[in-house]
Amino acid sequence: MDVFNAIVNAVLRAFFAAFSWAGTNGAWLSLTLLSVLVGVGMLWVFRKTSDQGAIRAVKRKVHAYLLEMRVYVDDPGATWRAQNSLLKANLRYMGLALRPALFMVVPVGILLIHLEAFYGRAPLEPGRPVVVTAGLRGNADGPPPELVPPRGFEISAPPVRIPDEHEVSWRIVPRVAASGELHFQIGGQSITQDIVAGGGQRFIPGRRVHSAWDAIWHPDESRLPAGKIEWVEVAYPSASLGVFGIHMNWLVWFLIVSMLAALLLRKRFGVTL
Amino acid sequence: MRSDGSGSWPLSLAIAAALLAGCSHQTTHAAGKRMIVLGIDGMDPDFVARHWDSLPNLNRLHQQGDFRRLATTIPPQSPVAWSTVSTGLDPGGHGLFDFIHRNPATREPISSMAEVSDPKNTLHIGPYVIPLSSGTVESLRHGRTFWQLLGEHGIPATVIRMPANFPPAECEQESLAGMGTPDLNGSFGTFSFYTNDPAETRSEVSGGHIIHLPPKSTSAVLRIEGPPNTLRKDRAVSYVSLTVHADPTAAVARFDAPEQQFVIRQGEWSDWQRADFTLIPGIKSVSGIFRIYLQQVHPYWRIYVSPVNIDPGEPALPISTPADYSRTLETKLGPFYTQGIAEETSAFRAGILSKGEFLEQSRKVLADSLRMFHYELRHFSSGLLFYYFSSIDQNSHMLWGKYDDDLLDIYKQVDSAVGDAMAVPDTELLILSDHGFARFDRAVHLNTWLMQQGYLTLDDPTKTGDDEEFAHVNWNRTEAYALGLNGIYLNLYGRENGGIVSPADKEDLLNEIAQKLLEFRDPVNGEHVVDKVFFSSTAYRGKNLRLAPDIIVGFRRGYRASWQTALGAVPPVMLEDNNQAWIADHCMNPDEVPGVLFCNRKFRAAHPQMADVPATILSEFGVPLAPGMLGHTVF
Repeated sequence: MDVFNAIVNAVLRAFFAAFSWAGTNGAWLSLTLLSVLVGVGMLWVFRKTSDQGAIRAVKRKVHAYLLEMRVYVDDPGATWRAQNSLLKANLRYMGLALRPALFMVVPVGILLIHLEAFYGRAPLEPGRPVVVTAGLRGNADGPPPELVPPRGFEISAPPVRIPDEHEVSWRIVPRVAASGELHFQIGGQSITQDIVAGGGQRFIPGRRVHSAWDAIWHPDESRLPAGKIEWVEVAYPSASLGVFGIHMNWLVWFLIVSMLAALLLRKRFGVTL
Repeated sequence: MRSDGSGSWPLSLAIAAALLAGCSHQTTHAAGKRMIVLGIDGMDPDFVARHWDSLPNLNRLHQQGDFRRLATTIPPQSPVAWSTVSTGLDPGGHGLFDFIHRNPATREPISSMAEVSDPKNTLHIGPYVIPLSSGTVESLRHGRTFWQLLGEHGIPATVIRMPANFPPAECEQESLAGMGTPDLNGSFGTFSFYTNDPAETRSEVSGGHIIHLPPKSTSAVLRIEGPPNTLRKDRAVSYVSLTVHADPTAAVARFDAPEQQFVIRQGEWSDWQRADFTLIPGIKSVSGIFRIYLQQVHPYWRIYVSPVNIDPGEPALPISTPADYSRTLETKLGPFYTQGIAEETSAFRAGILSKGEFLEQSRKVLADSLRMFHYELRHFSSGLLFYYFSSIDQNSHMLWGKYDDDLLDIYKQVDSAVGDAMAVPDTELLILSDHGFARFDRAVHLNTWLMQQGYLTLDDPTKTGDDEEFAHVNWNRTEAYALGLNGIYLNLYGRENGGIVSPADKEDLLNEIAQKLLEFRDPVNGEHVVDKVFFSSTAYRGKNLRLAPDIIVGFRRGYRASWQTALGAVPPVMLEDNNQAWIADHCMNPDEVPGVLFCNRKFRAAHPQMADVPATILSEFGVPLAPGMLGHTVF
């Protein structure tokens, strides 16, 4: 899993870096292109994995039943039958779309999880405190937990040990725009976690985890080695994507563009959706 | 009104001139004129005069411009005086006579400033009440405001936090509501205090709730209350839950809110926290903001949560004009206090916050206000900018005469803001306060006095106490009652429900009570308690007297109506020492507590009054006074 995550991350980071020339517009430009590529990719998967003939047939039936409802609008019996048939045809259409959807859900899901680190989190704001938390296996007994922040960051409160939750939290304040590694020393284990403050939108790892299962959902950094620390997390603020002055969650723009791309290019790819 | 900093101003000016010439507003000769008016609640002329050396900007204004005592209104209460400043009408014109009025039919105390009404048409579905029409929020102040009149003549104005301007007067000018703006619960500010300290046995104090947490817990759930859910039949109070975790030994805690976490140390305030209070799950919620003060972690939790303010970014009630102006300010400045009176005097009075803690919170309010002031100052380019400061008033109530050095610090910060306003070139600067201050040494239980004089009768004479809203008053045998901070009302036949005083006897009775008030002496020191008595029928030129008290009591310096009087209680004694943290006041004889008036040019008026301020502003912009406005320009 680590190798797979590292490869996906490296590819995405290279892709994102290719838009550094665009400055603050880099985020939405890169996401737009990526969304178009995903839309095209979904078309390809749809063509390869769906029964195109059956889809065309069921869509013709849908049109026919709609026409029947308009033509026999004065005949309640015929309208009722057409509605029933329309419902069945729709269910059949959804059934036919299920197979390609199943093929797409895993890769697209993995991609979206990875993209959260690029578009979903905003860098910390200098001067604004943030909570950094370590999840532990068992309680934080033994020597007191230690956290050493990189230059430009300051710990502004003592750690809060929460035995019931098996967690330790620190309050950290970035004093300037900076990035570096947080060094944790807990229960004899030493680990690091990247931290980013100020500057534009970029790759920002959120939570670093130990368990392989958790690594599926938090793939931004390599897994933690076995030990006292189960996970560490910096509570970054959510980013919003600005497109022509309108701010939205990146996922909204991704869905709009990828679906639009798929709709506009479907004939060029010879796909019936 | 806004400078855009572009280099094409001659073209912009030409376009603006062409647009103005073609628009329906009446234009005046004052286009391009700039005037800044600073409203500094409670700035006292004697205090200022005692500290000229420490207040260099006011001193400079005094030397280079002018300074006068500004006669205040009857009674000298902020909503009353600022409404006169807003409208140029006396209380008989604008209809505000106190913080508190009473409903004549029920004698229940009601807010004098605004009224919130539920929708008239609703649909009941299960536990929910779906409104089919809008509810209303209505200002109870009458009259046209000076910034509405300026707007009608094409003069831009920005009016920030004018008291008794909630909801803000409808106009196209930029304005933000001030004193009278409720918190999200609909009160003037209700804090919450969470503790498991066994020494704290109260559950309600004036202006706050005390919530008792389970003993010996290192984690606790704080239920932060929002507004009553008007979309439910039972109007259950909406709330959000916050979990707080303490470190087992260190004085620090982590708070887990639904969408955010924050860590604060003992003795620290949190930043603003935003919360959505759900009214219908997934469909409707209202947004509020609050701050937390972690007073103590070990051995007992002591956590103060501020009143939940209306979120300026998503206001649940109208707090600005245009409606999105509060959102604009929030975007530029971050969250800010929207509650009309934001200084936490209630928690200080209740002994929950110490003086130091109160001062720290108060400094945060002032810092918030100065941040917005500087933003407005930077963006001010023409027309009028009115900006209101509450800090001197609220701090004077708690510090006056006892902690003058602390109070002087607040004066100095406001003086610094005055200096910033003086630095704006080619701008007329007017600074005023609505009243001054005096010590509040003795609390007068006016209802008890009325009872002892035979004008008020209880069902059972032994039932004196702090029960509010005239709980034990026998209205069939009561001729007069007191409510609010200066008012006495007759129990008048045809006006009060079950009133017994015949209109024919009204004048004689008023004269009789007035005479006795003037003869009223403090049994402890033999001093007169009341300096002056005013009858609303003769004190005001305006005739909008429906809710006016019949008598306005002008207490002698050092005396004030008790808190119990304000809400209709009848304690056992007539007078008692004021031992509360609220040590100074101004609800006295207006002659004793004048305000200030400064300007960067000379006055011609020797004895200016509140109503002269709007008249002066309008006159400076060449805008005629509205009918009924009483003042004259001071120049």
